[in-house]
Amino acid sequence: MSYLEYAVKTMPSGPRKILYLNWPLILLLISVAAMGFLMLYSVAGGRLSVWAEPQMKRFAMGFAVMIAVALTPIWFWRSMSAVAYAISVLLLIAVEVMGSIGMGAQRWIDLGFIILQPSELCKIATIMLLAAYYDWLPGKNTSKPLWVAVPVLLILLPVGLVLRQPDLGTAILMVTAGGGLMFLAGVHWAYFAAVIAMVGGLVTAVLESRGTSWQLIKDYQFRRIDTFLDPASDPLGAGYHITQSKIALGSGGWTGRGFMQGTQSRLNFLPEKHTDFIFTTLAEEFGFIGGFSLLVLYALIIVFCVATAMSTIDRFASLLSLGVAMTFFLFFSVNMLMVMGLAPVVGVPLPLVSYGGSAMLVLLAAFGLVHSANIHRPR
Amino acid sequence: MTRTPLRPLARILPARERGENPDDIQRENLRQRQADERDRQRVRAEGRLVVLGVFFFCAFVTVGARMGVLAMTEAEEPVASAASARIAMQRADILDRKGRVLATNLETYSLYAHPQQLVNASEAIEELLKIFPDLDREKLTKVLTGKRKFVWIKPRISPEQRQAVHDIGDPGLLFGRREMRLYPNGPIAAHLLGGASFGKQGVNAAEVVGVAGVEKNFDDYLRDPGNADAPLVLSVDLTIQAVLERVLDAGQRLMHAKGAAAVLMDVHTGEVVAAASLPDFDPNDRPQLDPTRPAEDSPLFNRVVQGVYELGSTFKIFTMSQAIDMGLVTPETEVDTRGPIRFGRFAINDSHRYGATMTVDKIITKSSNVGTARVAQMIGGARQKEFLEGLGLLEPTPFEIAEASGVRPLYPQNWSELSTMTISYGHGISTSPLHLATAYATIANGGYAVSPTLLRKTGPQHGPRVISDRAAADARMMLRHVVTDGTARRFGDVPGYAVAGKTGTADKPKPTGGYYEDKVVATFASMFPVNDPKYVLVVSLDEPTETVGLEQRREAGWTAVPVAAEVIVRVAPLLGLRPDVEPGQMAGISLTAN
Repeated sequence: MSYLEYAVKTMPSGPRKILYLNWPLILLLISVAAMGFLMLYSVAGGRLSVWAEPQMKRFAMGFAVMIAVALTPIWFWRSMSAVAYAISVLLLIAVEVMGSIGMGAQRWIDLGFIILQPSELCKIATIMLLAAYYDWLPGKNTSKPLWVAVPVLLILLPVGLVLRQPDLGTAILMVTAGGGLMFLAGVHWAYFAAVIAMVGGLVTAVLESRGTSWQLIKDYQFRRIDTFLDPASDPLGAGYHITQSKIALGSGGWTGRGFMQGTQSRLNFLPEKHTDFIFTTLAEEFGFIGGFSLLVLYALIIVFCVATAMSTIDRFASLLSLGVAMTFFLFFSVNMLMVMGLAPVVGVPLPLVSYGGSAMLVLLAAFGLVHSANIHRPR
Repeated sequence: MTRTPLRPLARILPARERGENPDDIQRENLRQRQADERDRQRVRAEGRLVVLGVFFFCAFVTVGARMGVLAMTEAEEPVASAASARIAMQRADILDRKGRVLATNLETYSLYAHPQQLVNASEAIEELLKIFPDLDREKLTKVLTGKRKFVWIKPRISPEQRQAVHDIGDPGLLFGRREMRLYPNGPIAAHLLGGASFGKQGVNAAEVVGVAGVEKNFDDYLRDPGNADAPLVLSVDLTIQAVLERVLDAGQRLMHAKGAAAVLMDVHTGEVVAAASLPDFDPNDRPQLDPTRPAEDSPLFNRVVQGVYELGSTFKIFTMSQAIDMGLVTPETEVDTRGPIRFGRFAINDSHRYGATMTVDKIITKSSNVGTARVAQMIGGARQKEFLEGLGLLEPTPFEIAEASGVRPLYPQNWSELSTMTISYGHGISTSPLHLATAYATIANGGYAVSPTLLRKTGPQHGPRVISDRAAADARMMLRHVVTDGTARRFGDVPGYAVAGKTGTADKPKPTGGYYEDKVVATFASMFPVNDPKYVLVVSLDEPTETVGLEQRREAGWTAVPVAAEVIVRVAPLLGLRPDVEPGQMAGISLTAN
C-alpha cells in the first residue's frame, strides 16, 4: 500500500501520534522490565549498582529508541528492511573476521555506548525483510518453489554465520521464527511437512544407527548428544545448571521464600544467575505465583501484538507484528523450558528480564515497529 | 478457479449505448478482483494464525504446568558446586607392551586476570614479575592496566607458582584448570609418540590435541571420554627402546653421522618393538619446525618412516629369493658376472672384478651388482614389480603414526628393463627403513607378508604367502654367509645369536641431480637368530664416516654393521632369546674370525 493510499485515509500525524501509541502494551513492557530490575537487585545481594542500575539505564535508552521507531512511519521501515538486513549480515561477517583475528569466539561489537551483538539485530532484520518480501510478492506466487527458495536462502545466510560463532540457540530461534513467518505468509503446508519429515527422518536414522555396523556418527559424538538431551546424566557438567535450577524452583513452592530471601541463586550455586537463569531467582523468591504472573504478562504482550496485526490491512505491518510476537514468544518459551529442564541448555536469555544490553535494545526497537504499525494504519 | 471477466460484454454493450466509458467497468472489476484476492489471503492467514495460536497455547500450558509440578515437588537440599573436586583426566594414557607409562596427563593451572577487578594493579605486577621473571614488564603493565576485561597471563603454571600467585591475594588474578599431556620418559620414543598441544581453550578447560605420531593418529580414540580408563597399549618395549636409542646415539657420534634410524620388528606379528630416529626431541617441549632449513634436518623428522632413501644392496636378496622361488636359480647356480653391462649410455659395474662367473650365494656374499642385474633380467620387470608390491615396498606402510600414511616409496613410473636391473640391487627405488624391515620380516618368517604395527598383538599375524618356505630358508642361509664371509664379516656376528643380514651403501642424490661422491646412506638389514629368526633389525646411518683407520671408510660394513651388532648384543637377552652356539663348521668360523 503506497503512501498516497495511506494518506487519503485519516491517519494521525505530528504530535498527535503519541496519543495513538499502544499504551497498554507500553505498560506491560514496563512491568516486565520492572520485574527484571527487582530480580537483578536481588541476585546482586541488594545492591543496585551491580546489575540493576545499568539495566535500568539500558531500558531507558531502549525505551527512547522504541518511541522513536514508533513515531517513524511504517512504510519507511518497509523501505529500510533490505538495508537493515544487509547491515546486520555485514556486521555478522565483521565479528567473524574480528573473532578470528582476536583469537576466540567474539560475538559482539563495541559501539562505545553499548555492546552490540549483531546476531540479535539479525533476528529482527530477517523478520523485517521476510515481511517486506511477502508484502511485495504477488499472492499467487507464494507457494512456487523458486519464490519459496528465496526466503529460505535469506534465512539460512545469517543462520550459517551465527552457527559459525558458534551460537546454536540463536540459530535455532532464527530458523524457527523465519519458518513461522513463512507459514503465516501462506506458503503451502506441504513444504513444512516435507522439512519436518526430513529432519525427523535424519534424526531417527542417526539415533537408530547407534551400535549397528552402519553407525552414522562416532561414539563420543553420541555421548555428547546424550548429555545435551539429558543433562541429568552428567550432573556435574552440563547438567549442573539444570539440577540447581530445579532445586531452586522446588524450594520456591507456591508463594516463594519472599523478596531477597532466595538462597539457591544468591549463594552462588548458580552460574549465569543474572542472565539466562534469572527465572530461577524469580521462581524461588516469588514461587509459582510470581513465575506464573510473568508468564501471563508475556502472554498479554503477545495478544497485543496479534491484535495489532489483525487490525491493519497492510500486509507488511501485519506480518511484521506477528513476526515480532513470534520471536518474543520463542525467546521466553525456550528460556523457561530450558530452565525447567524440558529443553536442552542453549544460550537464550529471558526477554526484557535477563541482564544484557543488545537483546533488550533490539527487542524494544522491535516493539517500536509494532507500535508504528499500530499508529500508521488507516482508520 | 472461475474468474469473472474484466470486460463482460453483457455490461459493456449497454454502457456504450448509454454513452458511458466502458473502462470504468473494467477498473471497477479489477478493484473487485484485488479485494477478493486480499480477502482470500486474509482468510488463509487467519487460518494459519489459528494453527500457530494453538501451538502457542500448548507451549503456555506446558510451561505453566511444569512450573506447577516443580513448585509442588519437595525441595532438595542445595548442593555446593562439586566441580572443583572433579579430576578431569580425560585423555587416555599410552602404555608400552609391559604396561609402563609412555604418556599420561597432569593437572595444572592456567593463570588469567580480570584487569578491571584488580585491587592494586601495580603491586600485582611487581609480585607477578617476582614469581615469573620471564614475563615482560611493559607488556604486562599494558594489559593489566588497559581496558580489556580478560587477559591470559600464563598458559600453565606449577602448583608452587599457583600458591605464590594465590598469596598475592588480588581478586583480579584467577586460575583455570588445565589438563596437560606429560611424557615421563622424556625423549625416549619421541618420534613414535609425537606430542600434543592445546586446541580450543576455555577458562576452565582446554582441549588436548595430538599433533604428531600416535597421539595424532589415535586422537579420536584418546580424546573419547569413554576411553579414559582404556589406555592405548603399544607394541613398544620401553627398556629395549631406551637401549636402542643409547646405542644408536653412540654409533651416530662414533661414525660422525648426520642422522640415524633403527627399527626392531617382530617378524611374525609385525610389531615394532623399538624404533628410533636421531636427532630427536623431547615431546614435553616439542620444538617448532624451522621453515628456513630442510625438513629432513629437523629433529621432528622421523627417519624411520619419513626418511625415504635408495637403500642399495639390501635389495639384492629380494631379487635372489624371487628367482629361487620361481625355480630360475638355486644358491649354487653359476651366473655370468662379466661387467660392465652396457645399456645405452648407462653402465652397470662392480667395485671389484669377480671373474667370469659366480654362484648366486657368492653374488649375495660379495654384493655383485652385475650378477644381480643378470638374474633380474631372467625375472623380468612385470614379475619383479608384482613381487616387490607383495612385500609392501611400493605403497605407504599402514604403520599407526600420523607421519607414515603420507610416505610413498619413490620408483619410476615407467618400469623399464634398465629400471628392472637397477632396482634389483636397490637403486632407482627409494623406501623408508620401516619398509625394508617389513620386507625382511617376510624372508625371516618363512615367506609370509606382515603389516608393520605399533599396537600390541597376540600371536602371529601372517598375511598372504609371498615366497615359498624353501626360498626363504635359502635366502636366510645366503644372508648368514654375508655375516660369516661377506661384507659384514668384520663386525657383524654376535656370538650365540647367529646374525644374518645384508649391507647396503648407497650414494646420496644431490638435490640438483646426480649423486654425491662422499655422502652415503649406510644400511644394515639383519635378522636373528638365523636358524629360527624372531626379530628383524634395520640400522641406517645418514652420511657416516669411519675415521679410525688410515683411510676414511663409509661402507656399511664399517659403519652400520658394528652399530647393529652392538644393538643385538645388548637387546637380545632383553628380548628373552637364549644364546646358542651354532653346530658344525659355522661355529668354527665365527670363533676363529678374530
